[in-house]
Amino acid sequence: MLMVGYLMYMAIRVMGVLLVSKDPENFREIAFREFGGLLKEESEVNEGVLVRDVLYACQGIDGKCVKFDKSLDGYVVLDSVKVPRATRIMVRKLCELGWLFKKVKGYVSESMDKFPAEEVGTVGQAFCAALQDELSEYYKLLAVLEAQSMNPIPMVSEVVSSGNYLSLRRLSVWFAEPTVKMRLMAVLVDSCKVMKGGAMAGAIHHHAQHGDSLVQEFMRRLLRRVCSPLFEMVRSWVLEGELDDIYAEFFVLGQPVKAESLWRDGYRLHSGMLPSFISQSLAQRILRTGKSINFLRVCCEDQGWADAAVEAAAAAGTTTRRGGLGYGETDALETLVMEAAKRIDKHLLDVMYKQYKFREHCLTIKRYLLLGQGDFVQYLMDIVGPELSEPANTLSSFKLAGLLESAVRSSNAQYDDPNMLDRLRVKMMPHGTGDRGWDVFSLEYDAGVPLNTVFTESVMARYLRIFNFLWKLRRVEHNLIGAWKTMKPNRITSHFLTKQEGAVKLQFISTLRRCQVLWVEMNHFVSNLQYYIMFEVLEVSWANFVDEMEAAKDLDDLLAAHDKYLLSIVEKSLLGERSHSLFKTLFVLFDLILQFRSHADRLYEGIHELQARSKSKLKSSNESSEAGSWVSGGRKALTQRAAEFLRDIREDLEAVAKEYSSSLEGFIAQLPMQQHVDLKFLLFRLDFTEFYTRLRLNK
Amino acid sequence: MPREIITLQVGQCGNQIGMEFWKQLCLEHGISKDGILEDFATQGGDRKDVFFYQADDQHYVPRALLMDLEPRVINGIQNGEYRNLYNHENVFLSDHGGGAGNNWASGYHQGEQVQEDIMDMIDREADGSDSLEGFVLCHSIAGGTGSGMGSYLLETLNDRYSKKLVQTYSVFPNQMETSDVVVQPYNSLLTLKRLTLNADCVVVLDNTALNRIAVERLHLSNPTFAQTNSLVSTVMSASTTTLRYPGYMNNDLVGLLASLIPTPRCHFLMTGYTPLTVERQTKNIMVSSYARTKEASQAKYISILNIIQGEVDPTQVHESLQRIRERKLVNFIEWGPASIQVALSRKSPYVQTAHRVSGLMLASHTSIRHLFSKCLSQYEKLRKKQAFLDNYRKFPMFADNDLSEFDESREIIESLVDEYKACESPDYIKWGMEDPDSILTGEGSATGALDPKLST
Repeated sequence: MLMVGYLMYMAIRVMGVLLVSKDPENFREIAFREFGGLLKEESEVNEGVLVRDVLYACQGIDGKCVKFDKSLDGYVVLDSVKVPRATRIMVRKLCELGWLFKKVKGYVSESMDKFPAEEVGTVGQAFCAALQDELSEYYKLLAVLEAQSMNPIPMVSEVVSSGNYLSLRRLSVWFAEPTVKMRLMAVLVDSCKVMKGGAMAGAIHHHAQHGDSLVQEFMRRLLRRVCSPLFEMVRSWVLEGELDDIYAEFFVLGQPVKAESLWRDGYRLHSGMLPSFISQSLAQRILRTGKSINFLRVCCEDQGWADAAVEAAAAAGTTTRRGGLGYGETDALETLVMEAAKRIDKHLLDVMYKQYKFREHCLTIKRYLLLGQGDFVQYLMDIVGPELSEPANTLSSFKLAGLLESAVRSSNAQYDDPNMLDRLRVKMMPHGTGDRGWDVFSLEYDAGVPLNTVFTESVMARYLRIFNFLWKLRRVEHNLIGAWKTMKPNRITSHFLTKQEGAVKLQFISTLRRCQVLWVEMNHFVSNLQYYIMFEVLEVSWANFVDEMEAAKDLDDLLAAHDKYLLSIVEKSLLGERSHSLFKTLFVLFDLILQFRSHADRLYEGIHELQARSKSKLKSSNESSEAGSWVSGGRKALTQRAAEFLRDIREDLEAVAKEYSSSLEGFIAQLPMQQHVDLKFLLFRLDFTEFYTRLRLNK
Repeated sequence: MPREIITLQVGQCGNQIGMEFWKQLCLEHGISKDGILEDFATQGGDRKDVFFYQADDQHYVPRALLMDLEPRVINGIQNGEYRNLYNHENVFLSDHGGGAGNNWASGYHQGEQVQEDIMDMIDREADGSDSLEGFVLCHSIAGGTGSGMGSYLLETLNDRYSKKLVQTYSVFPNQMETSDVVVQPYNSLLTLKRLTLNADCVVVLDNTALNRIAVERLHLSNPTFAQTNSLVSTVMSASTTTLRYPGYMNNDLVGLLASLIPTPRCHFLMTGYTPLTVERQTKNIMVSSYARTKEASQAKYISILNIIQGEVDPTQVHESLQRIRERKLVNFIEWGPASIQVALSRKSPYVQTAHRVSGLMLASHTSIRHLFSKCLSQYEKLRKKQAFLDNYRKFPMFADNDLSEFDESREIIESLVDEYKACESPDYIKWGMEDPDSILTGEGSATGALDPKLST
């Protein structure tokens, strides 16, 4: 019935319009009057009442006829009120604004109430304030509309005297823009209400990506407000190093740590709080700049950074005062951060290099822990050597410290900066049963604050491993040189027994030669390994490190350069994980060389003794000499003893030699297999004359 | 404990070389002619106490002993610019000042007679060191004092300081010219025996080669003695740079020599000096003229050490090593592994040189045996004629016409030549063992009856 009426009305209207031009007899007026009557018949309430109710609803207030219906989740005309269906729908549509308003308003007041609570935070507050402002605009609009709604709605037929009346239809025009905004706000409220801080700004920013310029403009305004606390945080962080973030909204997180780990662990990026309009790299830079300031302040006790910050701000064209940056000025922010970063980083590096002598410390470590100061290392080995042969648990670290000091005093180390030498200490590693001093002795270097940011415990542990390796290598070398000294050219032992007769003489020559040739092989190996370590490992790594140190723009670069330097030494010295088996073989070789040393010593001592006996025998040929075991049997017995002695030694030497060559063969064969580190120079040095290649081919 | 090295300069030649050496060291360490440390010499990093001791804070005195049997050269030093440098108690001049008359036996005998005085000096100097590394003897092998008294010193040092190193810088006579010393072959041979038995390392300064270097490399048309001497002092100072400027490696003499002398007997080193790079240097090695003959192609390096002074990029070093290896520019022994060793050393900041980098090569090369063979053949010629032996018979060692010293020396040098020759073969390890009748000195008297089983 109603439907039919409506259709009729439409038809009439269309016809009426059509008729207008062809209706000279005032047919139009008649039709309007009829229509007005029809309308009145259909609805119980006057349109004006509905308009007022809608305005109420849009302020979140229930009116007479329009009330909030929970089940429908929206404002509707009460069922009891009889209105045309079209009107009902229109009211419902118009009241969407009210629904949205209620949501927004609800959020705002809820947040305001909660305010000092952490989950809102300053960004949330700014958001609320911005919303509030938008709502005020909205209230103004409503006030105007309300005033208009007082004017009666003229009948269709009446001549319109004043245009300032409000009909539902007019309301829908008025509401068009506010609805869009309100909807946006509601959407933002919906998606942001669980968020805060940077995350919230990010989420809002996400919605700002919109093609509609109206929306864009609106969002920009909103974001400017929302981001301002965030940008203020960035500003005070990069210029003052202050982490003004009681509500944990900032994308930089601080945590209380010891000074030495301030740089590495003190601050980190909180990716959840990083709004998407700040790029990852910018965020890193922001993080580092503030961190640098804090590092300077806490670890370096430096004040100079403040000047750098002022300069940076001046260069970026901003002041160091609060506020001044906002959303949309990401470029300005970036400039500020860049300028600050550049200056603060440079200042920090200057402080590290000049005040804290980073480079000199690295060099000192290289010279002492990496044994670069040869004369010092030599004396140290000379004087602590005898001590270190004792069982580890009998060692006094006090005594060793004294020896370290005298090694410093008697070498060129004495001319070094005493401040640096004081940092060099003896360190005894934990020892197990049966350990000798050699197994536990090492040196350590305490760089102190702030350099312990670079030389952390784990870094020093790596230095320690390198030291232990180099020290062992040096010890082996020292032993070989010691062996050479016992068999050096002008030792009489070298030509004794060549005047002896026949078989013993041959045996003597062949044993000595065996000993020498084995020495040649071992010495070749050790000294070429040393050359490799010096040229290919230490010096090359150092040269690269120095280059990178010069190129470093900030402390992170410096740390990375140092890490790389250390890693390259570790890997190339076969101390890395992947070279484990190679390293084990190397230590087998080292131990064999040490064994060789003791056999060689025994050989030469024996010869020496034989020599002494035979000399004394010559002298006292007819005297009844005291019954020394060597001499008692006369010349023949002496020769026999010599033969036995030489045979024993020869067997021992052969055993060492055999094991040595097979281990060495294994070592050399493994070298080309190391994929991760370039060992071809070591191979090339070891097999310079292709001696080992030939040996393998002849097998 | 600076591992001190005491320098003994004996005879005319030894003192001349020594003087140049100290001049060079003073320059390099910034020490004035009077032994005072110059004001500008404040950059540390060098180790002066290896070769000098400090009389007081500022005053450095060479650990050097100056000895001669005739006063000319030493007087020259004592009246020269550097007169205040040396410790005057360290100068020994024989009372009569008559020299040794180019006679080895006279030098040796006089040495024996003044043994106490000399040994007192040496002992005093040795006591003044914390950890004496050894001795360096500068002398010539041809004349009388350097060769004879030098020989005596070598024997005594070997006996008394058997654990210390004894290194010599021995000037060998110019083989191309006829010498004014006719008995030079005798003197050389007798000295060579001591160099073989009683020295740990002999740096052969071959006058022939020195001249050639001066002419060919340094473009001096007629090198004077002073010029060749300064070449020697350059070689001496360069070969000690790693001791004086400590680094990661080669910080002591024994370490330096150990790798150079893997075979105790073959401890004669040749030197080459060039203000150029490693690669050029191996070609420029100062080998004796004999090395150019056909036989030289068999000659092999037993060891090579390059000491490079100045700023060198380590990567350059392995590049040139690689080139040398690829092109097989150097023949090494085949009976054991060997390689070219390179020691990088700082350059003195006080000495300006035209070249950024200079290098010294020390090498043990088997071709040196030709030098000894030549000495032997010259000796044989003279000995056959029984020439000039009377001068020697005057002295106790050769009294009663006992010339066994000559024979023994000859045998030892012959066996030295043999050993060098053996080093050229891959079978060096077995050398001397295959045929008991022709080994080494070949003097086995075969009296002891031995169980043959023992010889296995």
